[in-house]
Amino acid sequence: MATTANPVDRMGTDETHMPPSRSPWAETWHLLCKNRMALTGLVIFLVFFGVAVAGLTVTSGKDPILDPARVRLQEKLRPPFSAPKTDSLRSEELPALGIYILGTDDLGRDVFARMLQGAWVSLTVGFVAVGIAVGIGILLGGISGYYGRQYIQSGHILFWLLLVLAIVLAFQKILSAAAVLLIVAIAGWLWKKRHDRRVSPLPVCLKWIALPTMQVDTLIMRAVDIMLCFPSFFLILTVVALLPPSIYNIMVIIGLTSWMGTTRFVRAEFLSLREQDFVAAARALGISDTRIIFRHIMPNAVAPVLVSATLGIASAMLTEAGLSFLGFGVPPPHATWGNILSDGKAFIFDAPWLTFAPGVAILIVVLAFNLFGEGMRDILNPKLRERN
Amino acid sequence: MGRSNDILLAVENLKVHFTGDGPVARAVDGMDFQIHRRETVCIVGESGCGKTVTALAILGLLKQPPAIIADGRITFDGRSLLDMPAAELRALRGKRIAMVFQEPMTSLNPVFPIGDQIGEAVLAHERVSEVAVRRRVNQLLDDVGIVDPQRRLGDYPHQLSGGQRQRVMIAMALACEPDLIIADEPTTALDVTVQAQILGLLKKLKQEKNMAIQYITHDLGVVAAIADQVYVMYAGVVVEQGTTGIIFGNARHPYTVALLNALPTKKKRGRRLYSIPGSVPHPAYRPMGCPFHPRCEYCEPSCQNAFPALCDYGKGHHARCPILFAARGRAEETRA
Amino acid sequence: MLAFMGRSIIQKVVTLFFVSVISFLIIHLAPGEPSQIDPLNPKFTPEMVERMRTEFNLDKPLHVQYMLFYKNLFTGRIVSWRDNQPVLGKIWERFLNSLPLFVVGTILTWTFSFPVGIRSAIMRDGVYDKSATFLAYLLISIPGFFFAYILIILVVTELHVPVIGMETFGVTSASPLVRIMDRTWHLVLPSILGATGGVAVLSRYVRSQMLEIIGQDYVRTAWAKGLSSETVYYKHALRNALLPFVTMFGMILPGLIGGSVIIESIFSWPGMGRMAYEAILGRDYPVILTLNFITAALVLAGTLISDLLYMVVDPRIKL
Ligand SMILES: Nc1ncnc2c1ncn2[C@@H]1O[C@H](COP(=O)(O)OP(=O)(O)OP(=O)(O)O)[C@@H](O)[C@H]1O
Ligand SMILES: [Mg+2]
Repeated sequence: MATTANPVDRMGTDETHMPPSRSPWAETWHLLCKNRMALTGLVIFLVFFGVAVAGLTVTSGKDPILDPARVRLQEKLRPPFSAPKTDSLRSEELPALGIYILGTDDLGRDVFARMLQGAWVSLTVGFVAVGIAVGIGILLGGISGYYGRQYIQSGHILFWLLLVLAIVLAFQKILSAAAVLLIVAIAGWLWKKRHDRRVSPLPVCLKWIALPTMQVDTLIMRAVDIMLCFPSFFLILTVVALLPPSIYNIMVIIGLTSWMGTTRFVRAEFLSLREQDFVAAARALGISDTRIIFRHIMPNAVAPVLVSATLGIASAMLTEAGLSFLGFGVPPPHATWGNILSDGKAFIFDAPWLTFAPGVAILIVVLAFNLFGEGMRDILNPKLRERN
Repeated sequence: MGRSNDILLAVENLKVHFTGDGPVARAVDGMDFQIHRRETVCIVGESGCGKTVTALAILGLLKQPPAIIADGRITFDGRSLLDMPAAELRALRGKRIAMVFQEPMTSLNPVFPIGDQIGEAVLAHERVSEVAVRRRVNQLLDDVGIVDPQRRLGDYPHQLSGGQRQRVMIAMALACEPDLIIADEPTTALDVTVQAQILGLLKKLKQEKNMAIQYITHDLGVVAAIADQVYVMYAGVVVEQGTTGIIFGNARHPYTVALLNALPTKKKRGRRLYSIPGSVPHPAYRPMGCPFHPRCEYCEPSCQNAFPALCDYGKGHHARCPILFAARGRAEETRA
Repeated sequence: MLAFMGRSIIQKVVTLFFVSVISFLIIHLAPGEPSQIDPLNPKFTPEMVERMRTEFNLDKPLHVQYMLFYKNLFTGRIVSWRDNQPVLGKIWERFLNSLPLFVVGTILTWTFSFPVGIRSAIMRDGVYDKSATFLAYLLISIPGFFFAYILIILVVTELHVPVIGMETFGVTSASPLVRIMDRTWHLVLPSILGATGGVAVLSRYVRSQMLEIIGQDYVRTAWAKGLSSETVYYKHALRNALLPFVTMFGMILPGLIGGSVIIESIFSWPGMGRMAYEAILGRDYPVILTLNFITAALVLAGTLISDLLYMVVDPRIKL
């Protein structure tokens, strides 16, 4: 029997003989550093953020250093890195950097300046749209996951029905009727509130008000189902086309049409977390619901929400570019990557840089977001995490 | 014991390490044991000491990476399993060495009827007709005590109880009448009555089919019920080995002693059960010297530095504790 | 089973009702009346606008308009505001144009993503897996129209084949063989483009699904039985990994009607996507609403089919 062939170089000199425990953040950071694709994504994202902020400062204001709107008709469609023809331009028309780094477009505008301006637009569109979507998603998903078992009473439905009816009437310009309905609704609501506080039983003829109809969860999930029935790009396109062209409309609409995914999985997260021991313990200690939600459940749900937000930003940026491309995007003269590309499509063979500069820029930034988001998803996956 | 020609499986100095981030985890760290033909060998040890990893290494089922077989030899019926070409090893799996896994609930494929899953084990190794396979599967299910096998053949795993599923797993392992069955805690996930039934079943089948069994468990009660030979494992190594009688009557390693103390018996009735202080060290952060020393009540300064060798007590009884060995030596001297 | 069907159909009809109400409201409450398409257009004299209003019931209250609209939709009498053609006929015609794109695109998507995803999972972290992963991210991240232009430049400058439109102008007089080749060439690029995103997403999904299954205990059991790796991967693992894709199979259905607005407008393909785009541009509400209604109905039918298929393939689900 072989016996002594065991190593003497046994590791672990600490007393516990257990792996050193790291905080979750340190652990995440450690894993992120090991995932090269995700790390690259993060670095590109940070660079892009810097560029967008720098771009905002140098291209905005009354007399920007790089003027994205300066038209130089005699300098149109100059290729990248070409020097301006100094003789035909006035001194304030010369590009600040001495050359056209990314060439000029069909109006002789400096594509580099326009790209810088567009970077900020892309960034805000992505962030605001996803901010809205994630906000709605967390709210609805959280309600659905935490309060989902509670019933909506017929009184609630009546209230909302009256409210909606009032709004519809207001749109139909039947203002007096709308006002009456509104007052009735609010009065009923207040009456019920007061009644609840007094804990006296409702009069028999009004019993039906407190009749439970449908679970909150059912309602919210059906709303998600309904929203998922709309083909999303088509819906966005329709609404954007109906509204006056504006960059804020686009952000809001993209946000309002993409909250369903977040809702669904915040709900799932809440459902699983609220069954867990630490929440049960907190509840047994008589800690209030808001405190449980914000101190105990939210911190656990926040990481996966951030992952889906990252991926959402990528897709919002693509959507914005697609809308701009179809001519529904951010109205000119404001430059976005989508509309630079869209303007460039007429010159695709003569001036390919007009297509490639924004195309490649969108590709790289969206890729960075996707890599980072997917990488984080892997990292946060407990299955991958436990074997370290 | 002059049975060396009878050795079916010999594992020598097996080391399985897991790489990943952080230090290497030495899950199995110099494992030695032998199984003779028609013998029931129990491998006992706390959770996480490397029992399953050892078993998977024998069958070549470890995913490499993250696992690496850093050292050692595994010889089955005179042939080295570690150097065997993949195709031959595959032909051996299920045919000559079969395994019953720890978790009956998840070890059966949910989308195939159990009859097909058992039959598949036969068809993988033998050329037989559909009808013959069906008859065989029927017989197997009957052997493992499933009532009305004819009807249950087409059942899906979710239609069976945990005990029935484990019986199906055993039937699957028996399908090709292997020489060795590795049963990895086959009863841990089941309740006590079912546990006793499964144990009885394994014992009976072993008699009928002339198989050897490598039974992995952390339950000394089970060991007493079925084992011929016992290997007590701690932190990836064997710390004590001997026949069942010796281990239960004359344990010479502090860990085995502690395990036995923790066992509920009639004598200890009404008293508080002993439990071993501390917990099994993580395989990547084992202490220097004897792996058990932080939890050991006989610990001496020397235990913290030198890895203990196996001490021979004769009659195949070995224990990896020089302190107790020396103490016994002194006791015998004084008696003399 | 029947009870489940009944319940789920009722639920879906209710959902569809809400979808129809919401889409109707979105369109009618949006600022700008449909009849004011373009106040500068000389064709839209005040009398014209007035006539349109009465003809399309725009002077009636909203709920009456809603009822009339969906009554017309179900009786097939609904007409476009642009040219007074029946909407359903127009949609059918465009649908037939989009169908080849859809069929070829779907076939490409499903035939490519599975082998790629499965291979990636089996060779996890190998060179093949890493490159497939990166390529997939690249394809997910590239704006469709940009990719389209790259491909057009490549094909037009390198192969000298025309790709815009459904067929080359004037090719109708050529021999059948030339015509078939021409149609094929025109079909290739848009369907490849339509499939790329799908391949990228689906193959990633197949890979993760497959990886999850490969780590399951019953796959280890299959190995322990001594089965060959083909049997383990393609029978035991794949069969389980496929279950969720059955759900996706139902989701193909809405793609039938969607078409891709961007791809069809780049390639001047007179399909459904472009029709929707034109309808939106022209505020042709009957067309928009009809398309939307049909899509929603198909989404719901798709989910129903998915549920049923799931029951067929997964023995654990019995109703
Ligand atoms: N795939 C893996 N990657 C990293 N470490 C692993 C892996 N599989 C097992 N280990 C480590 O190997 C050690 C031994 O594991 P093993 O499964 O053999 O324990 P066991 O003795 O079977 O325990 P139990 O009684 O709970 O089944 C464990 O500490 C575990 O952390
Ligand atoms: Mg185990």
